[in-house]
Amino acid sequence: MMLRIFAGSMLVVLVGAAGRGPFPAGTINGKVTYTGTPPKAHPIDMAKEPNCVTQHPTPVSTQDAVTGPGNSVRYVVVYIAAGDQGAPAATDTVHYDQKGCMYIPHVAAMQVHQPLAIFNDDPHSHNIHPLARINPEWNKSQPKGAPPIRTTWEQPEFIAVKCNVHPWMHGYFAVLATPHFSVTDTTGAFMLAGLPPGKYTVTAWHERFGTQSQEVTIGGAETKTVNFVLTAKPY
Amino acid sequence: MVRRFLKAAAPLAMLVCAAMAPNPGGSTVAATYTAAYATYTHRIPSFARKYNLPCSACHTAWPELNAFGQAFRDNGYQMMNDRDSPIWQNPSYIPVTFRVTPNWHREGATKQPVDPTPGVPSCVSATGVGCVPRTLMQSGFDLSGMDLWTAGTIYKNISFVLLPSADANASFHFEAAFVRFDNLADNRWVNLKVGKFELDNLISEKRFLFLSGNGGVYQSYHFLPAGDANDFGLGDNQIGAELSGHSQNSYTRYGVALLSTSSGNPGLVSSNAYDTYLTFSHAIDAGKLGVERLGVYAYLGRRPTYFQTTDSGAAIPGTGTGNKPFYRVGLSGDFFFGDFELLPLVMHASDDKYLANATPSNGTLPAGAQAATWNAGFLEAHYYVSPQLVFTGRFETVRMAQQAISGTQKNLGDVDAFSGGVRWYPIMFSRAGLSWHTEISAVRMQGSVFAGSDRVWATSVFSGLDFDF
Amino acid sequence: MRPIIRRMARMAALSVLLGAGGTTAGWAQESQVGSITGHTDAGKKLYRRYCIGCHGPSGDGAGENAPWIDPKPRDFTLAVFKCRSTPSGALPTDEDLFNAITRGFVTTYMPQWRPLTAQNRTDLIAYIKTFSPKWRSGKPGTPIAIPAEPAPTAESILRGRQLFQRMECWKCHGPAGHGDGPSAATLTDNKDLPIRPYDFSTGTRFMCGATNQDLYRIFMTGLDGSPMPSFADQLKPAEAWDLVHFLRTLQPIETREAAIWRDWLNTHARELKPIGPGGGGR
Repeated sequence: MMLRIFAGSMLVVLVGAAGRGPFPAGTINGKVTYTGTPPKAHPIDMAKEPNCVTQHPTPVSTQDAVTGPGNSVRYVVVYIAAGDQGAPAATDTVHYDQKGCMYIPHVAAMQVHQPLAIFNDDPHSHNIHPLARINPEWNKSQPKGAPPIRTTWEQPEFIAVKCNVHPWMHGYFAVLATPHFSVTDTTGAFMLAGLPPGKYTVTAWHERFGTQSQEVTIGGAETKTVNFVLTAKPY
Repeated sequence: MVRRFLKAAAPLAMLVCAAMAPNPGGSTVAATYTAAYATYTHRIPSFARKYNLPCSACHTAWPELNAFGQAFRDNGYQMMNDRDSPIWQNPSYIPVTFRVTPNWHREGATKQPVDPTPGVPSCVSATGVGCVPRTLMQSGFDLSGMDLWTAGTIYKNISFVLLPSADANASFHFEAAFVRFDNLADNRWVNLKVGKFELDNLISEKRFLFLSGNGGVYQSYHFLPAGDANDFGLGDNQIGAELSGHSQNSYTRYGVALLSTSSGNPGLVSSNAYDTYLTFSHAIDAGKLGVERLGVYAYLGRRPTYFQTTDSGAAIPGTGTGNKPFYRVGLSGDFFFGDFELLPLVMHASDDKYLANATPSNGTLPAGAQAATWNAGFLEAHYYVSPQLVFTGRFETVRMAQQAISGTQKNLGDVDAFSGGVRWYPIMFSRAGLSWHTEISAVRMQGSVFAGSDRVWATSVFSGLDFDF
Repeated sequence: MRPIIRRMARMAALSVLLGAGGTTAGWAQESQVGSITGHTDAGKKLYRRYCIGCHGPSGDGAGENAPWIDPKPRDFTLAVFKCRSTPSGALPTDEDLFNAITRGFVTTYMPQWRPLTAQNRTDLIAYIKTFSPKWRSGKPGTPIAIPAEPAPTAESILRGRQLFQRMECWKCHGPAGHGDGPSAATLTDNKDLPIRPYDFSTGTRFMCGATNQDLYRIFMTGLDGSPMPSFADQLKPAEAWDLVHFLRTLQPIETREAAIWRDWLNTHARELKPIGPGGGGR
């Protein structure tokens, strides 16, 4: 990793030396939509945890396929999969909350080595069980009032997170090699900013609808729009 | 023609035995050939199905047990997890295993007493009077007997075996049938078995790697001098009760058995005698070499020499009396050198003079009568090329130390035996097993009905498909 | 065929992500338990003799018997192990794996392999470690420290009982440790397969041993891959021993702790509130 970061900064210097000056930042934005039939969102039965029932006067729905108007898809991770020049790990802490027996946000994206803090805001215990395959898989208890669990991930990976005590709790850590990533909002929109000129592979990942990539070339301080249309399956 | 041939073939082993028996009425080692060939060895795929382990987990090469299989057996066919009771089994699981071996074999015997002209009676085989010596030979495709194993646990720490066993003509007997209470008082040193079972021999004849007519038996376990009235064989299953125990890994084991004097046959023989069998063995972990085990054993038995009689001298069954002692004591070992295994055994044996001379203890002994004693032993070697291929070899010898009648030719009845074979297991899964077994065996016995200086050879060539499921 | 294809795909993905070339087969790997060094080639032979039926030729837990086994055999390609002396998420030590092979797993089909020589068991560990690249890229964790156990007392058991309530152990293991808590029925392991919480009322041994130290280690390291989390960040050593003392009163066997607890209950049973939602205190 250190080697890549070093090589990356060398390249920036070289680009600068070529006379273009400090690079003008480009932006990629766009929307993620779907075709096909997505699974229906189901109301979650939290009867096993009365605390959480009272926190949600109207039952919350499952979040593995959250869609909006115009077939937009929420919680899609859009990131630079190739062409990125690399960057030191971000030092700001990514927050991941357990509140009302839900993960907030459902998908948390972060850079490799970026600090992650997991909070329990509920008046009862959770266990945080990231089902990592490439990174170490661990499983820790976090009772009410316990301090946040602070950790980092060493390898890029989409890590499913679950709480075994509350089987409806599912989330994801999207651990990425790049500092350029975005998670789509309620309108399916994303934005990747601060991109130096270059040719990029932009990838959209959704936990159920799969992965899609497109090539984008950024020439300078420009904004390019890239839309993704994922194929939804009902099951 | 076929029927006639089969009928003629059956007595061959009996003829071989008669060749060794100048005194009629005595049983000899050869009498057990056909029996051992028909009754079978122990390995039980229904366990593999129950516990989901491949054959090779418990067997060096089935049916021989390895250290893990020995511990499993000592635990009462239990893994000692929480999955041993049958309530954990799929209800469709049935603890039954069948084993049979279709085969081709060739048996030969030299110096057999026969009529000079077939069909013209003149030969008395027991004495050789009117006989000529001929070499007899037979070969062809054949069937073994069949074992129908049911074994397992009735509940946690209560084990059972029921083994109806058939000869090749489907005539059944119960080869084994017992209940075992395991780990009494939560103590692995206290296990109690009641019924008919194999003696706790460190080198098992029920789980060994030889099948042929002349190789499929340990001479040492069955040898009896010519004219001896004893019917005991250390390799035969006996009826009684056994107290046994073992360390957690079964490296240290003991057994104390109290047995009926019926040589494993149902039906009581006598009213007031029991046999005792004592065994102890200890193994060490020899690192890269493997597990090295050494054991001692002592069988102290008694057999009746006459019965109460009635109705013109007819014996009343179960009234055997005039019990006379015999014993078998010795050492046995099981030594590994990586994939090479050596199994040595030595034995000293003695039969009381009444037994040895087949004389009732209320009768008169022949002149010069004395106890018969002999020494026996073998060295067996296995080389495991892989869990699916094993080469075997064995040399065995029996030497008379003292004949039942003084002055008898010293080496009469001595035996040397040689066996070599290969077993290949083309499939080895956790559900069933198939082995292609090929073996050559030869037994040389001192003395024929014609002359004590004769050497009688009995040979076997065997190739069969040994399978169970 | 499908599991094999899936596995190959996974291995390919791992290779790309880690930049690891080659296959698992050729990796030289050794193990060390005490003075014994284990070797991969010897271990492979033993693995094929003893382990292959359940754990499969490629170590992914998809052996021929796997469909009939529950819980499923360990998938060595993930390098995630339940019984460790190391913190949650860390690789186990060779001794941990050696002890696991020796001891077996009491509620599974994994038998005790005590009769195998120590050399055999060490060789097996060397081979098992070739199935996952994690053994090449990472090192085993540092075993957790286990301070000396204080003597069990009624007060210690009572504190342990309160922790059983407060740490919400009962949500899976049940108010009486019968493995029947409200979340018990929905528990799944790291392969999304159903798994049951340990039932203290039927077990004379625990998943990772039978002693108080083993029990301490279980909840301070977690059983990785299973729903059982680590409580290392939540319990101080003294509290962990309190919990150990309480848990030992739940077993069907006579323990020191059970005797102390019985005596205390004879005079104080009425003071206890039942464990469960909103309860558990004195």
